[in-house]
Amino acid sequence: MNLRRHIALTRAGIMESLQYRLGTAVTLFANLIYLVLVYFLWRAIYDSAGTDVVNGMTFTDTMIYLILATALFNFLEMFVVWDMSRSIQSGKIILDLLKPMKFRSYTFWSYSGSHVVLFTLTFIPTFIVVMIVTHGAIPMGINLLYFVVATVLALIVNFSMEMIVATICLYTESTWGINIVKETIVLLLSGASIPLAFFPETFRKIVGFLPFRAVYDIPLTILLEKNGSDTLEGLLPMFGLQLAWCIILTVTGVLFWNHSVRKITVNGG
Amino acid sequence: MENAITMKNVCKDFKILNRHEGLKGSIRDLFSRDYKTISAVKDVSLEIKKGEIIGYLGPNGAGKSTTIKMMTGVLEPTSGEIMVNGLVPYKERTKNSERIGVVFGQRSQLWWSLPLIESFKLLRDIYLVPKKDYEDMLELYRSLVDIEPILHKPVRQMSLGQRTLSDILAAFLHNPAIVFLDEPTIGLDVSMKSKIRDLIKGLNQQKGTTVILTTHDMGDVDALCKRIVIIDEGKKIYDNDIEHLKSYFGSYRTLRIRHADDTWEERVIDESKEDVMDVILKKQKEQKIKDIQLQEISTEEVIKKIYEGSSAAKGNSSVVTSDEKKGAAEQ
Repeated sequence: MNLRRHIALTRAGIMESLQYRLGTAVTLFANLIYLVLVYFLWRAIYDSAGTDVVNGMTFTDTMIYLILATALFNFLEMFVVWDMSRSIQSGKIILDLLKPMKFRSYTFWSYSGSHVVLFTLTFIPTFIVVMIVTHGAIPMGINLLYFVVATVLALIVNFSMEMIVATICLYTESTWGINIVKETIVLLLSGASIPLAFFPETFRKIVGFLPFRAVYDIPLTILLEKNGSDTLEGLLPMFGLQLAWCIILTVTGVLFWNHSVRKITVNGG
Repeated sequence: MENAITMKNVCKDFKILNRHEGLKGSIRDLFSRDYKTISAVKDVSLEIKKGEIIGYLGPNGAGKSTTIKMMTGVLEPTSGEIMVNGLVPYKERTKNSERIGVVFGQRSQLWWSLPLIESFKLLRDIYLVPKKDYEDMLELYRSLVDIEPILHKPVRQMSLGQRTLSDILAAFLHNPAIVFLDEPTIGLDVSMKSKIRDLIKGLNQQKGTTVILTTHDMGDVDALCKRIVIIDEGKKIYDNDIEHLKSYFGSYRTLRIRHADDTWEERVIDESKEDVMDVILKKQKEQKIKDIQLQEISTEEVIKKIYEGSSAAKGNSSVVTSDEKKGAAEQ
């Protein structure tokens, strides 16, 4: 495998994202407003509960979890579906199909640069602020390394889900509805908007096996050393779940894509 | 010489849904299984030699883009064979893309917010072009056009002409064997058009690149193409030299007559049917003629005649097949 192509795409992606400084600043500002809302919402929930610990999480735990989830969301959020539908409508997709690389890999590496930029510009600052404000509520150790691994796996799972939805859009031509449904499901079931600890027992068990959890909940759980992720026995099932979904979704996505592209080449698009 | 592209009896059908009118019809369409088949390309055979510049012409909706998409491997032919650089394009699309370059009308493959040079570097790495070849290519570009002013300009700030120029340069960057140019001069001013024609000609001569050019601008055809292929309603209706095109269809000449009141009258004369002198003499009997001009018919008018001729012939099914035309042209 020649990495020259992939590095070049990442590099261009970084340079492109850096062109949009204002966009990044606006994202940070929007997050701030969102987090103020989250703060008061959960303050009210904890006040009305009357106890300091709800579902095994203190108010501080919940806030740290949600703030980092938001930061992670900004960094993992992809626009494959939007971009793809636009490029299908404009016909630009032909130019991407005619690159001497597999379309999937071309797309993935085209986005990789913006992930690098967003990770550095949104996740790391948020992480540092949370770390300072909470005076060591986040454990500092080998968990950081595990977190990076888990985040890369989360990225792949997320990309695979995006690609599958984007492929569906090849058939439907309208993407708006499908994409909204997908985003809502991911945000709810991944633990990005409500920590999974707050879900009812049975529901939580089911969600625990779904791929959505692999995107936000697992990396955060590992970072915060919750649910026994500070031990190897606790850690392995989490990585196992992520890895399993990586493989399942990638294989499904590739097969689905190849089938669909073939169909397009037969019937025209 | 070896063929760059060979097409044998290629057909392409599309299945499309029969749409019904009105709101009721739209609702019915949601559940409809009523498809009709449209033949976009019918039994086209074509051989293109290495290093040729081919003008691929036809009225709008004739099947030009469909043919090009099949050659690039984005579409699979319904029947028939296509070989491009010795590969079957739709089966090995990725491998085929390494050896072709494309410019599709007004869609740009350049990175919008980056300076042109960055797009070049990126394409260099994506196509795995050796550093030396890349430098040589840039050197060649410098000798053909003045690229310095645009090299460090972000693509989004470029004028349409500069962007088209850049896109053409980008398509040639990895020294492909074949370049497809789909209406490269659309919307450009006269001087930019001529710049782009010179560039295409220069690259074709220096690198021996085969160029397939679709255009509606006969100036492009006159400046670049020795051979043209005309397609209409999915069928190939002409495939020969541009000179033959003129001598066969071009027994037409335009006669301009200036009347006594200084107005010009224009008339296209088919020399196989009537004699120019006869027309002038007849006119002179009717009224006084102050001046005459005789013009050779332009390629544009010939092409117009062919397009009109082929659609007029549909009714009486007396369309001349390309072989007959070729035969007649060669006599």
